[in-house]
Amino acid sequence: MSPPLLEIRGLSVHFRTPDGVVRAVDGLSLTLERGHIVGVVGESGSGKSVTFLAAMQLLDYGRAEVRGEILLDGVDLLTASPREIRRIRGARVGMIFQDPMSALHPLFRIGDQISETVRAHRGIGRREAAARAVEALRQVGMPNPEERAHQYPHELSGGMRQRVMIAMALVLEPELLIADEPTTALDTTVEAQILEIIDEMKSRLGIGVVLVSHSLATVSDVADDVVVMYAGRAVERGPCTRVFSDPQHPYTWGLLDSIPTVDARRERLIPIPGSPPSLINPPAGCRFAARCRYRFDACMTDLPDLVERGHGHADACLLDPARRRDVRQHPVQAGLFASGMP
Amino acid sequence: MTPHDADPVPLLEIRGLTKRFPVTRGVVFARHRGEIHAVEDLTLHVARGQTLGIVGESGSGKSTTARMIARLIEPTAGTIRFDGQDITRVTGGELRDVRRRLQMIFQDPYGSLNPRHTAGQIVAAPLRVHRIPGDTRAQVAALLERVGLNPEHGSRYPHEFSGGQRQRIGIARALALHPELIICDEPVSALDVSVQAHILNLLGDLQREFGITYVVISHDLGVIRHVSDQIAVMYLGRVVEIADGQTVSTAPAHPYTAALVSAAPAHPGTTSRTRIVLSGDAPSPMTPPSGCAFHPRCPKARLVSGDPHVVPEQCRTFRPPLSDHGAGHQVACWFPSTVRDDLVGAARSMTTDPAILPPV
Repeated sequence: MSPPLLEIRGLSVHFRTPDGVVRAVDGLSLTLERGHIVGVVGESGSGKSVTFLAAMQLLDYGRAEVRGEILLDGVDLLTASPREIRRIRGARVGMIFQDPMSALHPLFRIGDQISETVRAHRGIGRREAAARAVEALRQVGMPNPEERAHQYPHELSGGMRQRVMIAMALVLEPELLIADEPTTALDTTVEAQILEIIDEMKSRLGIGVVLVSHSLATVSDVADDVVVMYAGRAVERGPCTRVFSDPQHPYTWGLLDSIPTVDARRERLIPIPGSPPSLINPPAGCRFAARCRYRFDACMTDLPDLVERGHGHADACLLDPARRRDVRQHPVQAGLFASGMP
Repeated sequence: MTPHDADPVPLLEIRGLTKRFPVTRGVVFARHRGEIHAVEDLTLHVARGQTLGIVGESGSGKSTTARMIARLIEPTAGTIRFDGQDITRVTGGELRDVRRRLQMIFQDPYGSLNPRHTAGQIVAAPLRVHRIPGDTRAQVAALLERVGLNPEHGSRYPHEFSGGQRQRIGIARALALHPELIICDEPVSALDVSVQAHILNLLGDLQREFGITYVVISHDLGVIRHVSDQIAVMYLGRVVEIADGQTVSTAPAHPYTAALVSAAPAHPGTTSRTRIVLSGDAPSPMTPPSGCAFHPRCPKARLVSGDPHVVPEQCRTFRPPLSDHGAGHQVACWFPSTVRDDLVGAARSMTTDPAILPPV
């Protein structure tokens, strides 16, 4: 059996700062197969972006300490030499970021920026590279790609710029696409267009996609699997259909209960109390415990690991799995409120 | 029953409000190049104690509308009546009296607070400007406490607070003068999901407690649906549909509203949804399309003509007026429909054909 397209094992990313060591990612594991989309969801500071910057060796190693393994098709990206990682970036792994304006060079025509990528990796002629750039723009639904290739980034709308980024990421036919908040800066109807393109590329090219997002709704629309991150750790992981229909971790419950949606108006949202812990000397025990309405004494001392409970659905919570659904409805009756906030 | 019937004099009444920004070129001699039609002929009203949500994408004119109501920019035409008084052109002391009753909360909790003033000074500023008698310090402490901040933190500076706490400071400042109307321009879009919920709940609590009227502006239909009694959907400077929240989310009559609803966050895991994926971007407000501004992207127009390449002449030539569909539901479309058309299929047939994509 061939190895999965992407496998992250026990990844830790720690940053040395004057105030102490920031444990941005702590023991993260995830797997992505070809032709699948995995959504990585979390709020600011959960470590979701840092994970994939580490995968591409884009962190400042003067300050960052990275441990664990990030295997692309069985080969560890973290130990790849600078020469090897340069060959992998772009050619085997494409990346798109939230803000296409700052990722594009303002003084070069978009067609030239795309064909530069092709020429750098494939060593083909200028004219052929330009033709490939136009073809890539056509693939992502850019109208009149021949004319558009001659335009500068400022002449395009936000949605069109993000299409250019996707075209650039896919022009070398990578196996893996890492999309970090690709639709956050875009309007709702444009977001729908971009997600549609990513979904189509997955099906047509059979690539694997990592979709990093703060929005559960965005991820649930297109992803096959989802990983929910909190304070540098995965707290729940599994197929989208299972995680969203039968969520297991209190943090996931909290996220789901706090989103206002179009389909149901509730009188009050149920927010998560408090704020995320400092990642310098994080508390012992479960990192979510201080904000958890369902915590009991053990939560303050034991750090739960991600445990698989069947159908590929795993969670990192000490609550009795058999009682979860009951507990979620009646936190107080379940007698789980521990005394004393830390 | 519409809010209009319930209250003969709405707290806020906007008629024919229009804003055009001139576009000029040249440094010494500014040559007139054209105009940006930011807001065109907007008519809306909000009853006391109610919330009007205005939803739209970038360039729809929603923020310009908010700023005109708060009298931060001058309208080109139209009138704004507040509690029966025409405030469109009031100045000086009269404007100050209006501002006492009408406050604003901004999107960016970083940019809207002076970094060199403490939280206490920021919240006290409106009290000082309007020379409110009484113990300012006690009033500030009460305000901070009411919005969920520790009054002892009044001596801290904005950078010492999180984004959600900063937005609370902005709310305390808006609340200081006990306004009747608060305009909230994207009040939660800069915040994390779990923090958003706290702020939305706080706004709801304050409305129940003080009977405040809100105009909430957002690009997020989920947020708008949650807070609003009435929702106005804007596209390219004009209102295309007004209805109560339930109608907008379950039976939108305008094809643009239908597309927005289909793309907005639904509760994850409820059902698998089918998005109506519109082709192209919104056109430039400098050169709005003829007839219905939505016609170049409209899947419904293609359904009506039966051909993905053809838009009915009516849509291309004549602008549809905002017309009444009963129970306060108004739609600006020549072919409105609350039954579910196959807009998904019609939109898809458009996206596969780049020849008919609108010029951008």
